[in-house]
Amino acid sequence: MKKWIFISLLLFVSLSFTQVLQRFPKPDFQSGYERPVMQTPAPRSLVLEYLDVGVLLLVLSLTTYFAHRRRSRRLIFTMMIFSIAYFGFFRKGCICPVGSVQNVVYSFFNADYVIPLTVVLFFLLPLIFTLFFGRTFCAAVCPLGAVQDVVVVKPLSLPKWLSSVLSLFPFIYLGFAVLFASVGAGFIICRYDPFVGFFRLSGSFNMIFLGGFLLLLGTIVARPYCRFLCPYGVLLNWFSRLSRRHVRITPSVCINCRLCEASCPFDAIHKPTTAEIPEDKIVLVRRIILICILLPLMMVSSGWMISRLYVPLASVHPVVSLAEEIKLEDSGLRTEVSDATQAFRAAGKSTADLFAEAHAVQQKVKTGGWILGGFLGLIFGFKLIRLTAYRRYSEYEIDQGDCLSCGRCFSYCPVDKNGQTIIRLNTEVT
Amino acid sequence: MVKMRLLFKELAEDRPLLRKMAQRTAWISGVFALFLSVLLILNYLQFKTHDPLHSPALTQLMQQLQSDSENQALKEQIRALDLLARKAFFIHQWQLRTGSFLLLVSIILMLSAIKYLRSLERILPSFDSKAATDELLLDRLSSRRLVIWSGAALVLLAFVAGLLSENQLKDPKAVELAKTGPSLEELRQNWPHFRGPDTNGHAYADSLPTTWNGSSGEGILWKVKSPKPGFNSIIVWGSKLFFSGADEQTQSLYCLDVTNGNTIWEREIKDVPGHPSELPDVTKDTGFAAPTCATDGQNLYTLFANGDIACVDLQGNFIWSKNLGLPKNHYGHSSSLVTYNDLLLVQYDHGESKSLLALRKSNGKTAYQTKRNDVQLSWASPLLVQGSGRDEIILSATPFVIAYHPSTGKEIWRNKCMDGEVAPSPAYAAGRVFVVNEYARLAAIDIANPSIPLWIYEEDLSEVSSPVANDELVFMPSSYGTLTCLDALTGVKQWSHDFDTGFYSSPIIAGDTIYLMDLKGVTHLIKAAREYQLIGENALGESAVTIPAFMTGRIYIRGDEHIYCIGS
Repeated sequence: MKKWIFISLLLFVSLSFTQVLQRFPKPDFQSGYERPVMQTPAPRSLVLEYLDVGVLLLVLSLTTYFAHRRRSRRLIFTMMIFSIAYFGFFRKGCICPVGSVQNVVYSFFNADYVIPLTVVLFFLLPLIFTLFFGRTFCAAVCPLGAVQDVVVVKPLSLPKWLSSVLSLFPFIYLGFAVLFASVGAGFIICRYDPFVGFFRLSGSFNMIFLGGFLLLLGTIVARPYCRFLCPYGVLLNWFSRLSRRHVRITPSVCINCRLCEASCPFDAIHKPTTAEIPEDKIVLVRRIILICILLPLMMVSSGWMISRLYVPLASVHPVVSLAEEIKLEDSGLRTEVSDATQAFRAAGKSTADLFAEAHAVQQKVKTGGWILGGFLGLIFGFKLIRLTAYRRYSEYEIDQGDCLSCGRCFSYCPVDKNGQTIIRLNTEVT
Repeated sequence: MVKMRLLFKELAEDRPLLRKMAQRTAWISGVFALFLSVLLILNYLQFKTHDPLHSPALTQLMQQLQSDSENQALKEQIRALDLLARKAFFIHQWQLRTGSFLLLVSIILMLSAIKYLRSLERILPSFDSKAATDELLLDRLSSRRLVIWSGAALVLLAFVAGLLSENQLKDPKAVELAKTGPSLEELRQNWPHFRGPDTNGHAYADSLPTTWNGSSGEGILWKVKSPKPGFNSIIVWGSKLFFSGADEQTQSLYCLDVTNGNTIWEREIKDVPGHPSELPDVTKDTGFAAPTCATDGQNLYTLFANGDIACVDLQGNFIWSKNLGLPKNHYGHSSSLVTYNDLLLVQYDHGESKSLLALRKSNGKTAYQTKRNDVQLSWASPLLVQGSGRDEIILSATPFVIAYHPSTGKEIWRNKCMDGEVAPSPAYAAGRVFVVNEYARLAAIDIANPSIPLWIYEEDLSEVSSPVANDELVFMPSSYGTLTCLDALTGVKQWSHDFDTGFYSSPIIAGDTIYLMDLKGVTHLIKAAREYQLIGENALGESAVTIPAFMTGRIYIRGDEHIYCIGS
């Protein structure tokens, strides 16, 4: 196993600097020589696509088994290494369930797009497993999560106030990803995937820099992308809260020994609460009522604000971007001619039609901005309610939404399946 | 082998020794990784600042080669430098690969060692329950506040970003910002430039006269004597007609009333700052006032053979003048002026200093000067393409036809297709530019794909006269009297006709009729069609080399001696 770990780590770190390798520029032929027509590689055969789905299903099943029945961090760690190797380096990070959200959204809003069944399965399988067994997908199947997990060295516990705010970012990211995918502006989750550059041995400077930064940060803040950015994690979090057979710290009954209290690098363990709520109940109820009253206002105001951003947001769309470039060139405000505008002009298409199409996209983004703003207002409101209401815990419990089923806490529990207290000496934690 | 196994077994059982080894491994590999990282970053920065593939020396040599393409020594020098650059590039790549690999190994060692050390530790909780309760309360309060403030900050950010964003597709304000000149429609109701409103020989006037005779006075509304020599053509704005004249002593601008030919004003251009003391080299075919004036309906702009350039308003009041430097031009400077938005554009190709010059119309100050040192002297005038997509100013010279953005002077495209001493100006229609010169070729260039000419034609080429084109056909007169018609798309010759007299004046297309005046002043009216069809021939009664100006119902012609107004 160590050999596997070694090889996988070797592969992943070596990619850090590959992005700076530049290709030699193409010669500029003046002799009339025509370059060969660009060949696009054939798509992956359907059999292999289903093989990917099969591997996903197998790895999900094994990880779930290792987490629930074997309660083995080591086996989960082994699955992580496999996922990095297969879904990461071999499949080059595509397709991954994280990005598949956009395919699903795009298929809803674009009748011409037929979403492949394998993509739907990639999207649904982790959600189905999560609904029943918690986030075992995050534990060891997602290559993005796995690559962060292996670099965790000395995780720090973040202050609650900081993690409360940071945990809102995945909602914002998801919202914008859905908005852009729905109007056909592009798949920003894939475009800004910080780790795919490592898996593909190439990437832009920004991509590699962001990935490198997150991995470096990940040595002391465990899995920063999973916790504070991953848009798919929002869905997994929701589904995981509903799961009936989520992993637990103890295989039997918690004896409140507190040994596991600091074992979770993701701060996903709730401590037992005192019998008395430390605040006045009337104040709490009033506060919650106030938030509920203000909730529609928050939704409308944020909807209005984001809808006002339709111009810069729509610029992400290739049609709008092209129209803006054409306009700037035609007006003389920009002198550099881009490949896109050259191709457009060579095609002899009407600029009026282009502008009309761009305008239509802008209107869609405007409408989408209202919905996105409303959604974010709702999320902020719910977050405030959650931070106001108290929930009682009688024992050490896992936060079903935030727990990534990594299995680190298992070995801290001194109770075995039969409820017998056992003492482990020199137990290694990976 | 057995001994080795035993050794490893002992080692695995000896935890303190393993811990010590792991600690040392972590430290050594960590320091080594840090050292490598610094080296790689420095290497990367060095490559970014001194990119061998974009060596200034190599670029400079390449530019030299453009103007001296037969220089074998230069080519060898470029090849040697290029080889060096390639070697440097690949060495840099090797350094990166090797460095990355070593970095990777050291990081893996460090991580493995640290993870092993961490696996020996247990994270234990603190046992202060009172503090934990207080902390819970405080955390919730801080979290709520921070969520509220961050939400407010995001809303504010969105609000500010919304305020700052400007929809260029909806609001034409930004687009129109740079446009301070007359509209295309206004230009086309007048005759403001050399070869008309579009600088391409297209006339938009209707009810044009088809018969006249300068000697008998038939069809001549008025005729006045040219006050001063000049081969520049007439321009017209509204009821005023403008031209310039110059001799060795003086240079002047003239404004006539189009209704009767009376002089409205005459303005001598003198006391020009930087006016050269010596006379320019000119031939009798070019003279001291060959460049045609330009107007934007507000002011009138003129350029003389000595580089004096001046601006007066349409009432003749002086606004500004300056000297562009005495042109070193063995025939005399002849390129005409073009206005574009708030700029006056000059193709100032002379001596060793060839450039596209843009002056502010308001004060004559240089807005930009684009050097054109890789072309030779040229006598052609600029072609301004506007109103159908991106605006371009296209200049023809040997060896390149180059398009620039008129607002900035930045090059857009170039095509190496000219040769010799270029005098004919480019023609334009339906996205295609037509450039010609004698002893070179007539080349058609698609401005959407300008790198390779659509076609070339090499017979009966023009020496002075410019071609003219419509969407289907190109017409090219030669100085020895041949008029050739070609298919604009394919370059296939449709017909040619030999006239008795050659052409210096350029043809003008008005509707489906071509007006082409020969050196004797006879204007031939020819059908713009795939078959030659002469509509009429009208003599001016004197020789002429200028290009007529076309206004509704009237044609204004400057002969060698007189100004004519033709109409009914």
